[in-house]
Amino acid sequence: MRTVGVVTILAVAIALSISMLIARDAVTSKINTVKASTGNTISVSPKGFFGFNGGGTPLKASSINDLLSLKDVTAVQESLSEELTSSKTSLTSPTPAGQLGSQFGFGGGNSGSSGSSSGTFTIPVRVIGTNSPGNAVVGGANGGGTEKLTSGRSFSPTSTSDVAIIGSTLASTNKLKVGSTFTAWGTKITVVGIFNASSTFTDSSVLMPLATVQKLADSAGDVTSATVVVNSVNNVGAVDKAVAKKLGSAADVTSTQATTEAALAPLNSVKTISTYTLIGSVIGAAIILLLSMLMIVRERRREVGVLKALGAPNKSIISQFISESTTFTILGAVVGLVVGILISSPITSALVSASGGSTSTNTGGFVRRGAGAGFTGGGSGFTPPAGGFSRTGIGFHFGGVTNTLTQLHTSASWSTLAFALVAAVVIAAVGSSVAAGTITRIRPAEVLRSE
Amino acid sequence: MLKVENLDKTFRTAAGDVHAVQNVSFEAKDGEVVAILGASGSGKSTLLSLLGLLDAPDRGSIDIDGTQLAILDSAGRTRYRSSQVGFVFQQFNLIPNLNARENIKLALEFAHWPKDSRDQRANELLAMVGLDESKADRRPSKLSGGEQQRVAIARAFAAQPHLILADEPTGSLDKATGQKIVDLLREIASTQNATVLVVTHDEKIAKQADRRFEIEDGALKEIA
Repeated sequence: MRTVGVVTILAVAIALSISMLIARDAVTSKINTVKASTGNTISVSPKGFFGFNGGGTPLKASSINDLLSLKDVTAVQESLSEELTSSKTSLTSPTPAGQLGSQFGFGGGNSGSSGSSSGTFTIPVRVIGTNSPGNAVVGGANGGGTEKLTSGRSFSPTSTSDVAIIGSTLASTNKLKVGSTFTAWGTKITVVGIFNASSTFTDSSVLMPLATVQKLADSAGDVTSATVVVNSVNNVGAVDKAVAKKLGSAADVTSTQATTEAALAPLNSVKTISTYTLIGSVIGAAIILLLSMLMIVRERRREVGVLKALGAPNKSIISQFISESTTFTILGAVVGLVVGILISSPITSALVSASGGSTSTNTGGFVRRGAGAGFTGGGSGFTPPAGGFSRTGIGFHFGGVTNTLTQLHTSASWSTLAFALVAAVVIAAVGSSVAAGTITRIRPAEVLRSE
Repeated sequence: MLKVENLDKTFRTAAGDVHAVQNVSFEAKDGEVVAILGASGSGKSTLLSLLGLLDAPDRGSIDIDGTQLAILDSAGRTRYRSSQVGFVFQQFNLIPNLNARENIKLALEFAHWPKDSRDQRANELLAMVGLDESKADRRPSKLSGGEQQRVAIARAFAAQPHLILADEPTGSLDKATGQKIVDLLREIASTQNATVLVVTHDEKIAKQADRRFEIEDGALKEIA
């Protein structure tokens, strides 16, 4: 009966520790997934610079150098967005202004009347100068889509050549192919590659080396968007603050970190709770076994005394008690493991719910997109510039980070089983050591004299 | 042959020193049954503890067949107890979760008796003390007091020790059963050629011994 009691109490303590471990693993996994999905980049744009409406003063080369000097910053992807109106290029824009163009004040289209050239206006050809053709991104309000280099090659990040990679729609409209030329700012530009993003807006754009655009647009050193690449997701928060401090009022600095950290707060709380409960339950289990073994040895002092009188060495008696405490622990661990796995899911849900995690499912909101997937196929392989094909270089999408925070997947991994084994060994060792110490001190003459 | 010389043991208590055993000297031959009479607190149990090396004397020597035991270290005393001494207790002190045969085999295990002959030896001993096969697999709680003491005697003689120390072996038994146990001890002592020291306060039991001693305030004297 006592054995059943000890095993039951141990099983409860071990089940609690297992469920806490599983909850902790699930929460940690979710935190890491969310952090990884938010990327390790920080977007920097001139203060007040927003979308198609422009505004602000371009960042200068000195600001970029300041960013590069910051701790944990591995690279800064720069881009300069420009427009090529029909007077500046031989290219024909494939994008009609349409009704939306009218609404945004460009005029033209069916009903536009406020534009400067009502009835003849077309959307300018957008040019992005970039120093990171292999790491930038386009998306959101800039046209979206996943860009793929369908022919030709990319250009090097430090290129100063008069070359361009153009969107497939622009190429089709102007009957351009790799090797063709067009003029921009009065200079002959050679097409070295063509990409496709399955987006008319994006595919109507031009990518050129940053230095080339700065030279041709007479904007030496100007940058309209920079993406700071941080060496680790965990350092994004600190670098974000450092960037804001360094650039001051000259720039808007945004990262997904703050939003993510706020959304992850309930999960971090659960992680902390589960960690402390885990430690507490393991210690509790060890104390339970320790006291149980102490009680058992004391109750069996006479038996120990008799065994010693019969010539049993201490190690023989101790090993007998160790095997008993190990049996208790193994039984408790097996039962506790099964129960722990079974209750881990509801306990995790309850913890997340109690920590305010359930409310986070409704807090979506805007999340500013950082670096993401870009060009992955064709040619030499590259992705479009940071910030994408727009003046702002900033893309928004409705946040989908927080609405999945409570969708935790709990499962017992090999590491969980290994923990159970290690915990069982530790608990048994603690219980056994007390038994061993007590047994060693028992003197058979005293025990038997009390008869 | 047991030879004890000038054995002393003093316990220090809050109330002062207690001379439990004082200058005890005696000899006992192999196969001899020696009774030690004494009232409670006279020192007889302490003397048994010293002879069984459960306790160390302050002074004196214990010699069995030429082996000086006082100089043995802890491991040596443990080995000595397992192979050369058998204990019989008033409360039997069998291991409760082992059956009769297993209790005997436990003593054989401590004495490093060959593993493959332990069963046979245990069965021989059970037969020797008059317990049939049906009792061999019973736990102590399923045996009567007399049967438990028979198992305890079988366990004491298991490793063929030279010295059997019996502390009030009939104290928990009725007279008839107690007499049978004494007879059994005498018989086995003779056949196994072992020295048996029986501590008792029962004159009738003591009179059946080959020699009798009385202990009072730790001092031992032989009764004619």
